[in-house]
Amino acid sequence: MKTHPISVRKAVLGAMATLLVNGLSTSTLAADYPSKPIQMIVAFGAGGSTDTMARIFAKYAEEELGERLVVVNRPGAGGELGWVHLANAAPDGYTIGLINSPVVEVYPFTREETVGYSLEDIRPLANVITDPGMLVVATNSPYQTLGDFVAAVKDDPKSIIVSHEGVGGDDHLAALNFAAEADIDLNFVAYNGNAEATASLLGGHITAFAGNMSEAVIQIQEGKARGLAIWSEERGEPIPDVPTGHEQGYDVLAAASRGFAVPADVPQEIYDTLLDVTRKVVENPEFRAEMGRLNMPVNPIYGQEYVDFIHDSHDRMKALWEQNPWTEQ
Amino acid sequence: MDVLLPALGNVLTPMALLTMFLGTLAGMTIGSLPGLSSTMGVALCIPITFGMPPDLALILLGAVYVSSVYGGSVTAILLRTPGTDASIATALDGYPLAEAGRGGEALGMATLASLFGGLFSVVVLIAIAPPLSTVALAFGPQEYTVLAIFGLVTIVGVVSDCPLKGVLSAAVGLVLACVGLDAFTGMQRFTFGYSELFDGVPLLPVLIGLFSVSQAFNLCVPIGGGVLTGREQQLKGRRLPLWLDIRRCLRTLLRSSVIGSVVGILPGAGTSIASFISYNEARRHSLTPERFGKGELEGVAASESANNAVTGGTLIPTLTLGIPGNAVTAVFVGGLTIHGMIPGPSLFTDHAETTYTLILSLLLANVLFAVLGLWLCRYLVVVTKVPGSVLGPMILVFSVIGTYALRNEIFDVWLAVVFGVVGFFMERWRYPAAPLVIALILGPILEVNFRRSMQISHWDLTTFFTRPLSLTLCLLVVLALAYPLWSQWRRRRSSVQH
Repeated sequence: MKTHPISVRKAVLGAMATLLVNGLSTSTLAADYPSKPIQMIVAFGAGGSTDTMARIFAKYAEEELGERLVVVNRPGAGGELGWVHLANAAPDGYTIGLINSPVVEVYPFTREETVGYSLEDIRPLANVITDPGMLVVATNSPYQTLGDFVAAVKDDPKSIIVSHEGVGGDDHLAALNFAAEADIDLNFVAYNGNAEATASLLGGHITAFAGNMSEAVIQIQEGKARGLAIWSEERGEPIPDVPTGHEQGYDVLAAASRGFAVPADVPQEIYDTLLDVTRKVVENPEFRAEMGRLNMPVNPIYGQEYVDFIHDSHDRMKALWEQNPWTEQ
Repeated sequence: MDVLLPALGNVLTPMALLTMFLGTLAGMTIGSLPGLSSTMGVALCIPITFGMPPDLALILLGAVYVSSVYGGSVTAILLRTPGTDASIATALDGYPLAEAGRGGEALGMATLASLFGGLFSVVVLIAIAPPLSTVALAFGPQEYTVLAIFGLVTIVGVVSDCPLKGVLSAAVGLVLACVGLDAFTGMQRFTFGYSELFDGVPLLPVLIGLFSVSQAFNLCVPIGGGVLTGREQQLKGRRLPLWLDIRRCLRTLLRSSVIGSVVGILPGAGTSIASFISYNEARRHSLTPERFGKGELEGVAASESANNAVTGGTLIPTLTLGIPGNAVTAVFVGGLTIHGMIPGPSLFTDHAETTYTLILSLLLANVLFAVLGLWLCRYLVVVTKVPGSVLGPMILVFSVIGTYALRNEIFDVWLAVVFGVVGFFMERWRYPAAPLVIALILGPILEVNFRRSMQISHWDLTTFFTRPLSLTLCLLVVLALAYPLWSQWRRRRSSVQH
């Protein structure tokens, strides 16, 4: 295994950053912050759901900050490339980024040998969206409840095909969680995106679709698909008829969360300023209304609480991984 | 249909027309620059549309979408530097035409073909969108597998000069297509620890390298020479193709538009499949198939009408089912929902006026880019007279910027440069580059769908022949492969008899 170039670069950048922070007193840095545009790293492509949220957020945050927030898309490797850039950015508050839980916390152990960042390199700032996981079937499917579904899997495991969007993604992890809870083995098929998987579900090529609420709402509201369960504590607002896993006796909680983070060594004053701005945007009713129209449930978790949330999730995921690693290395 | 009139009113307001005009100009520019895809163009417009009323927002997105697909043909023909994979097939015949001084004519044909394909698909969208959208659902993994094979078969059409070299080039493409994280197991394949390769070898840097960067090297090497080589410094071009040529291509235009519209409906397929299958079918039905690849207007017509027909096709499942037909229309869905319009049947009832405003504006945007395109032809074609020592470096600069802009990765720029060198020598030694790119695009589609089929059918290979739709596609593949052999055999027999 060769030395990874990123670790060298990280060391150099880290040294430079330390010099910078020590050279200038943090208070002068923070006093006139922000004095130039701030770049916001989105680890997924332009036009995706993370990107859409980022751009709407930027529109509101610019009013609060009085500076431009420039969205920079750095997609690749399921978000990893963007997070490497975030982790290695100068900790001066002029680079912030979006992180997607749980994937951001699983790469450091599922891709242990090659991953270019560690959770210690980034400091979570605030969570904004929590999009619960779901298990969805077509309307003409014989399965009405999770119980029916589990019985069918136990009866003939091979006949049930469940889609997910990539091994180790949040859909896959949610379904694995459920399978462990129900003590069943699921037959997974990987899809590249929500559109292909939805078409395959409605066309009757697969049995069920493991995805997020925001992706399934349209088809459920149009009466084309039925949610067997939503993996959240409470039912989803736009689809109140879909029961939670807990209601049906399966204690599964899973979601894709999107929030903000900064490089770990950002001065505390700047961290506080950014946290304050994020809080103002997230509490803004207009921002909430826009998120609501996109079926993205706002779920604010601020500061230290969010840091704990990410680390707790990391520990739970790692336990699941050690029990049953979902990728072959 | 009583919503059509108010919708037409919405399209014809000065503000709407201005938006459409600006969108068309922006789209044509984006399409012609290497690496700037339709997806990126539409995505960049989304924040601009936040503050606009829904009608104008959709008109802008629609205009950028259709004109950016057309824009790619300009550089594909004049410089052999297709901006995205949608116009690779256009370059196959367009560039030889430009080299012969007939660039204007090729551009004219590309414009008319794009207009034809675009209008055709929008009319299909208006007339029979709901029943056609079921095609998107009927296609399961089995059908996608055979469709990908159908696409690979078109390589035969591209490499007829030297089949062995073409097959080798395609094989390299298929090997490159294996790189990346295995979607089913998460295993790393040939990534050598580079996370930049986890999603596979990125297509556009390879494409830009093989076509644009290598072309830049080509132009720089014989000092002073431009696209128009040596004595042929004269533009023989007419701007509009002869009516005779257009009439000759009518059947190809129609066939390609049908192929483009249908492929567009399928969420997992993609524009390049449509243009390559259409190109191959045009060649197969031609009386002079040997002229394809050497400057045949019909080849340009096939590819361009197909890729623009995809635009209307992709909107069919997007608007009727809420299932986006490709990455661009996925961005559209975001744009629709942000304005409170949920894609699905309600678009045609609750929001019918806005929906038909979009559809009618697409018709108009198609006409607009065609008029602009035909008018600009005579100025654009002058590019072929620019000396290579000037043109080459310019293409190089745009290639580097375009590749970097894809995902802000310097890695991608190096990849493009490496493939630029590879492409340069491939051309010297007469290995065609198109098969490599087709294989790189289709390899992953073939692989994941084959594996999905096998998982669903529990490793029963007959699954491809027991489903009616899949069987039909299999027969089409056999036909496409066997027909050239059969016609060759028949020709040989008839020449023996004479």
